[in-house]
Amino acid sequence: MGKKINIWYFSSFLISIVVAIPIVTVFSSFFETTGNYSLILKNTFLYDYIFNSFVLLTGVLILTFIIGVGCAYLVSFYDFPGVNFFKWVLILSFAVPAYIYAYSLTAFFENYGTAFSILKSLFGEGNYNIFIPKFDGMMGAIISISFSLFGYVYVLTRASFHYQSQNLIELGKNLGFSKKKSFFKIILPSARPAIVAGLSLVAMETLSDFGAVSFFGISTLTTGIYNAWISFDDLTLANRLSFYLLIFILGLFVLENLSRKKAQYHTPSKGGFKSKTLIKLKGLKSFFAFKFCAIIFFISFLFPVLQMLYWTIIFPKHLIDLNLVELFLNTILLVILSSIVLISFAFISNYGNRVSRSKFLEVLTTFSISGYAIPGIILAVAFITFISWFDNNIIDIFGFKTIKSIFIGSIFGLVIVYFIRFFSLASNGIKSGYLKISYSIDESAYLLGYSKFKTFKNIHIPYLKNSMLLIGILISIEIIKELPITLIMRPFNFETFATTAYVFASQDLLEAAAAPSLFLILIASLFILITSKYILKD
Amino acid sequence: MKKILFTILALSFFETFALAKEVNVFSARHYDSDVQLYQKFTDKTGIKVNIISGKDKALQKRITEEGTDSKADLYITADAGRLGAFASKGMFQNSLTPAIKAAVPSNFRTSKWTGIAKRARIIYYSPERVNANDLNGMTYEDLADSKWKGRIVIRKSNNIYNQSLVASLIKNNGKKATAEWAKGVVANMARDSKGNDRAQILAVAAGEADLAVANTYYLALMLSGKKGAEQQAAAKKVLPFFPNQGDRGTHMNISGGGVLKNAPNPENAKKLLEFLLTKEAQQHIVNNTFEYPMIDGVKPHPLVKQMGLGFKQDLETKVANYGKNQAAALELMLSAKWK
Repeated sequence: MGKKINIWYFSSFLISIVVAIPIVTVFSSFFETTGNYSLILKNTFLYDYIFNSFVLLTGVLILTFIIGVGCAYLVSFYDFPGVNFFKWVLILSFAVPAYIYAYSLTAFFENYGTAFSILKSLFGEGNYNIFIPKFDGMMGAIISISFSLFGYVYVLTRASFHYQSQNLIELGKNLGFSKKKSFFKIILPSARPAIVAGLSLVAMETLSDFGAVSFFGISTLTTGIYNAWISFDDLTLANRLSFYLLIFILGLFVLENLSRKKAQYHTPSKGGFKSKTLIKLKGLKSFFAFKFCAIIFFISFLFPVLQMLYWTIIFPKHLIDLNLVELFLNTILLVILSSIVLISFAFISNYGNRVSRSKFLEVLTTFSISGYAIPGIILAVAFITFISWFDNNIIDIFGFKTIKSIFIGSIFGLVIVYFIRFFSLASNGIKSGYLKISYSIDESAYLLGYSKFKTFKNIHIPYLKNSMLLIGILISIEIIKELPITLIMRPFNFETFATTAYVFASQDLLEAAAAPSLFLILIASLFILITSKYILKD
Repeated sequence: MKKILFTILALSFFETFALAKEVNVFSARHYDSDVQLYQKFTDKTGIKVNIISGKDKALQKRITEEGTDSKADLYITADAGRLGAFASKGMFQNSLTPAIKAAVPSNFRTSKWTGIAKRARIIYYSPERVNANDLNGMTYEDLADSKWKGRIVIRKSNNIYNQSLVASLIKNNGKKATAEWAKGVVANMARDSKGNDRAQILAVAAGEADLAVANTYYLALMLSGKKGAEQQAAAKKVLPFFPNQGDRGTHMNISGGGVLKNAPNPENAKKLLEFLLTKEAQQHIVNNTFEYPMIDGVKPHPLVKQMGLGFKQDLETKVANYGKNQAAALELMLSAKWK
């Protein structure tokens, strides 16, 4: 091995270590003693917490499976009115964070809410509250999280369907299968790796969700973590509970990796791909397909947008008071800095893994990115705790000035925690791009006398430009929506659309939260629009 | 790439060099109107107010971990228990000045922190379904009376205002009696606890329950029309009732603040606290948040006045006690299967 390999290896190693900081901090809690909250918890609600987490997860997985796969199936194999429109508007659901969905759901269905106003204006006075279904509590959380996350399943499944040949349906026909039987026996199994990959992303986001769950006041493991911390000051137990969550997620990761390996096996080479003709639906069937997609689009995107728009219109004062330019610039600043940092380091890490081909490094990377599932608020605190420990124990010894203010309450620190939170997203994205570049290309480059760096710069980067753009956009959308990390890590007088919406919502002024929420959704939608063609392609 | 990183580093370094005339506020109480108030303070004194708002414990954690390097001067939050708990970790310095001492009654402050505004946690009822005679002399303790079976709504046990209310009951009646009380309340609930204080009041308006427990400012907020015409009309279907008038008085809580131990600008922080307790600032607070003023000589918002002002406040149970009993309060609520 030459010297250059060592640099790549080392960088890759270092990146994994930084990303692993919160996991290590969380793990270290095992060597501390816990307070008596654990006992109280055991005697009272521990099983409720676990049960509720399980119900939430199951509910979300079932719903996102039905919606995501259903939509992907319809738009991939059939032709019906509006199919090309639905293909991309269904991704717009990514622009609505679960907590804003939760605000809308509550606003519409609560006693004397928007639904009540609509019924009253249509039919006059009446006690409509008893007839309006209440989507709160567990039901509300499942709906909010599902409709903001089903996009993962939809996009990945659709990409998988896209690369399958029409022959699958033909094959079913030839075998004398009904459409239903072809779907369950041929089409679904062939897309299984993609579906599993989508569902495991959904599962991780669900388990680490805090906004929607705490808004609806559900007692999940995450609430347990927060309770341990808030009411009993038992951060150790809080960390320990997050660690259980983490083990669960690690399992999901392994599952996802396995299915990815399978997907690799299934993906046909590009040359063999033929564009297929869609089956034209007629009459009732066509109407059903249209209706299904239209309803999903309405519920996932139009509904929250219209609710926020309605409020912004009837309470225009909140919009006028909003410092739009500043909020916009702050949001964009975070987006740009984080995207650059994340993509650059994800590249370096992946390239390091590629040239060194070290099993150890690969395992380390997989381990470190499971931090994705740590709830953002716990992750931020773990980071602060680590910096404080590092500063007090290492920096002080060498007699340097404190480093805390560089990392805590600065844009720099904020970007680092974003980096830790979203590194898996960036890294996995780049990795799946890399899997398509055969090792023989690298070897040919070396034979031509290219250095490692030159191979990276002149061959890999141009090759992966599209993946890079796609990842950049995905990261941007996540950062625009991110809330708990931004809240705790941000500098003085620094607000984004997300934090402004939160501040209003937390003083029970959802009406005032509407305008910043609306802008948040619009900006995220814009990002999605720009890249919808890439997202749909791959 | 290098340039960008360098710029980020330079920017974050820049943060460390604080301006002399400023005060840094960590606030878990997020009123838009507070921001306007800070602006008034700056106009008057030339001291710039920097704010970070966030979740209570997350902010506390950040302040604690920043330690002696913390730039936080003033910590502001709702609920006396939270202030008490943070004070017991030794995070505040002596926050009182003669002006603050003179303005704030002793049961709403300690040497480490002071209340800025008051709220009462009271009972709301439906005059259609509850006879006013039934409420005569009613206490918080009576919420456990079986005559209210299936008729009460109240928030979850993890809500801090409930924890402070129950903490005050522990202080007055002991832990054992309060544990029994909690079981009685749970048995009387019209539904599993859910939603915020406003949702409890709306549940009574909508006929889901007959009694609700919630803070005073929520009803005024709805009556003001800030929540829309429907909720304004709904709020008129419920009436407030101030419990425990025959004995110690109605449970009071505060939002308040204290100067932090490691504050780089403690004098400015004290000036800001003093300013928040002036008549001008208090009037601004009560007009916008519908809380009760902390000092004498300031009238609450007309909608709050309309709910009744002559009630007896519990001045026996010092708000400083809430923090000590909050953990016990949550424990016994959880044991009573209070969701």
